[in-house]
Amino acid sequence: MLSFYQCLLYLYPATYRHEFAEEMLSVFRDARRDVSSEARARRIGFYARETWGMFSGALRERVAIFTGGYRPISFARFDMRLEFRFPRATVVLMSIIFAGVILAMRDADRIQVKYGGGDWSIWPSLPWFLGIAFLLTCALAVAVVAVLFALRRTGAHRLESLETSAGRD
Amino acid sequence: MESLPLTEPVLLVLLSLAEQPRHGYAILKDVERMSGGRTKLSTGTLYGALRRLLHAGWIEPVDEDQSPRDRRPYRLSPRGRKNLRLEVERMKQLTRLAGLRITRGEA
Repeated sequence: MLSFYQCLLYLYPATYRHEFAEEMLSVFRDARRDVSSEARARRIGFYARETWGMFSGALRERVAIFTGGYRPISFARFDMRLEFRFPRATVVLMSIIFAGVILAMRDADRIQVKYGGGDWSIWPSLPWFLGIAFLLTCALAVAVVAVLFALRRTGAHRLESLETSAGRD
Repeated sequence: MESLPLTEPVLLVLLSLAEQPRHGYAILKDVERMSGGRTKLSTGTLYGALRRLLHAGWIEPVDEDQSPRDRRPYRLSPRGRKNLRLEVERMKQLTRLAGLRITRGEA
């Protein structure tokens, strides 16, 4: 169960993990020791509560990142950590976009071959058109989210306040 | 930042720290004791609340360099204490009003 808990910790943002993972793991260990001698039903209740707490907590932290409500706590020794790396999530999103574009190009080729023969009507092409439009819209939306996400992860949005902070010091 | 009224986990965490500085596990046990076993926080919920309170400046870590990394105690900041007082006042007024309304309804 401890290794499962450690895996669940990976659902949280990296900065959060660096700040709290050790503490959370230690508290979980102590709490697990408390329930280890109790009835099976209570143990199951404990594990279910912990699992649910981890999922909902991680989701809340992830949402907070996207909505701008997340700012890492300024423990001096963790400042600037992981802020300037290229996020893995962006690589995944870029791969999805790339696959989307390849698919769209393949579909476009097929449509060109189909209507090159001359026997064409707008109606048979409509589902394809809608499909491609849908794919392109999704790809665009994903790209925008990826750019926003990357900007937030790199801390670029904080550059505006940099001068103000420096001035204050 | 947390706004009033506070959620139950946040209120219980603040009440636990109002008495003395405590680390995560001590807070967990104290919350359970205070609520008579009715509220059992998971570690995810506890640290979510702690992170928000730290971020809002309502609590602060104690002697960060001296305490072990996995047992860092937290204490209520002056700002957190002030806001906790406000919340308790709000709850008192609500309880008073509820008592009055119930009494009037029975009369």
